[in-house]
Amino acid sequence: MSDFLQSYGFLLVTLIQAGLLGLSLYFPLMAGQLSLASPGFYALGGYVAAIMLTNPAFAGLRDTLGNGIFPLTWLAAGLLCALAGVIVGVPALRLRGIYLALATIAFIEILRVVALNLSITGGAIGIFGIPQTFGFQDRWQYLLIFGPMLLLVLAFTYMLQKSRVGRAFRAIREDELAADAMGVPPTQYKVLAFVIGAVIAGIVGSMSAPFLNTWNAKQGTFDASIAILAFVLIGGSRSMWGPVVGGALLTAVPELLRFLQDWRLVINGLVLVVASLYLPQGIVGALGKLRRSPPPSRPPVAPTTDAKGGTP
Amino acid sequence: MTASLPNSTPKTASRTVLEARNMTRRFGGLVAVNDVSFDVREGEIFGLIGPNGAGKTTLFNLMTGLTPPSSGTLTYEGRPVLGLAPHRVAALGMSRTFQNIRLFRALSALENVKIAQHTRTHAGLWRGIFGANRAEEMQVERRAWELLDLVGLSDRAGEEAGNFSYGDQRRLEIARALATEPRVLLLDEPAAGMNTSEKGSLTTFIREVRDRFDLTVMVIEHHVPLVMNLCDRVAVLNFGQLIAMGDPASVQRDPKVIEAYLGGE
Repeated sequence: MSDFLQSYGFLLVTLIQAGLLGLSLYFPLMAGQLSLASPGFYALGGYVAAIMLTNPAFAGLRDTLGNGIFPLTWLAAGLLCALAGVIVGVPALRLRGIYLALATIAFIEILRVVALNLSITGGAIGIFGIPQTFGFQDRWQYLLIFGPMLLLVLAFTYMLQKSRVGRAFRAIREDELAADAMGVPPTQYKVLAFVIGAVIAGIVGSMSAPFLNTWNAKQGTFDASIAILAFVLIGGSRSMWGPVVGGALLTAVPELLRFLQDWRLVINGLVLVVASLYLPQGIVGALGKLRRSPPPSRPPVAPTTDAKGGTP
Repeated sequence: MTASLPNSTPKTASRTVLEARNMTRRFGGLVAVNDVSFDVREGEIFGLIGPNGAGKTTLFNLMTGLTPPSSGTLTYEGRPVLGLAPHRVAALGMSRTFQNIRLFRALSALENVKIAQHTRTHAGLWRGIFGANRAEEMQVERRAWELLDLVGLSDRAGEEAGNFSYGDQRRLEIARALATEPRVLLLDEPAAGMNTSEKGSLTTFIREVRDRFDLTVMVIEHHVPLVMNLCDRVAVLNFGQLIAMGDPASVQRDPKVIEAYLGGE
């Protein structure tokens, strides 16, 4: 077992990380918004953690908190990304479809250029020598934080989808104007979906900075946007399992095909093309088609309610 | 508030619910709705007819916040409506259906009706995440089933709305509009695409709905027999202007109306 973890621990953590980033992009999509901003918030979260864990300004805090500094970096990254999500989301979500996607790409580029030029982010060299979370000795130990994070996000997503807020997201995805006319305020929920995605990406970034030991402007670029979008599209954008399956698969396939050497990239590209041609709803979407969901069942009737409901 | 009496006869009810004054909407050089004023009384079924392109749907869009007005006012129970966002109009108690059916097509019939209860429910993000919304969800679920019963679609609650026949989609849209708990219901061509027998039962259905939910109903319709049977009063729009208003029989005889439909010399 420990041999397995020694060899594949890093890969397993990377798979989970890909799944989480896929989920962060899945949230805006749930409300029908094609945003590619996740890598930007991922980079931002990573810088928050890297700075808090290495910058002399935080030395006092690190000494006082000991290992408690790590959860604090997650919290700080989450909060900062929520704030940044609102600031970016409110104007950007006035745009639709491909224009929103372009605006979020611009956001990523701005962050990258800013990070390249600030001294606090270490400029082009970035920040290195980031201490290991909780003093972990081995890469695989990061499963202990990424694993629970994935479960937490999945549980969050599951509950959200069943709730009034989840219904509002779906209504906006289906027909924004009709949703508005039926009492669902679109702007508010689009921003909420965007911010949830931003927070998830930010926290994943803050967990990834110690894992990768170094953080620089190459983290969270436009390339990553496209890769994460591919996770969601190949996995399936209509189920929360889609981004997880897609992220894991697209991260694992190049590794499993390593014996093919240079040919593996060709195979990887081929998988993408074939999947988008034959599985337009993604892998999970195609599997879901095989299994008919049972018809909804009627809840027991309460004697006190009538069809009018509400107050007269 | 006193318990609601068995429905008051609409023709004698006189309290004004909607008051439209000089409503105007221009699209460039075209005046789609031109200086339109009318009152709608509580409990009545108010018809809006007119030739194609007369501005009927634009008027509905103005009333429900989908199109901002150029000028004029509309009050609902004394409160201004024009300029509010659509979801605010819905929260105020006005709900509508669409001429070109705008259901959430990929979602189930049940979910369509559940979504429209948004303004009458309150569970936010965290209550949903921690499952503290059970009682409310139960209520939403029950009410959705009751509304599907009302329109006769509860057998197909789990089916995607987009798969339904035209007539069933129109009925589902009415159920969805009712789920917002409106006091005023605006129906945009509810009979369009229905077959003859469906059209026949529509009059009874709309009356029943009006009585059961104590509604005031505004309806755009082309099918003349339906308008004559259904409506208490009718307003006629032509080129954006109101050219006649009154009970169906006298409007039908109005020379201006005849000219609008058949063309003058």
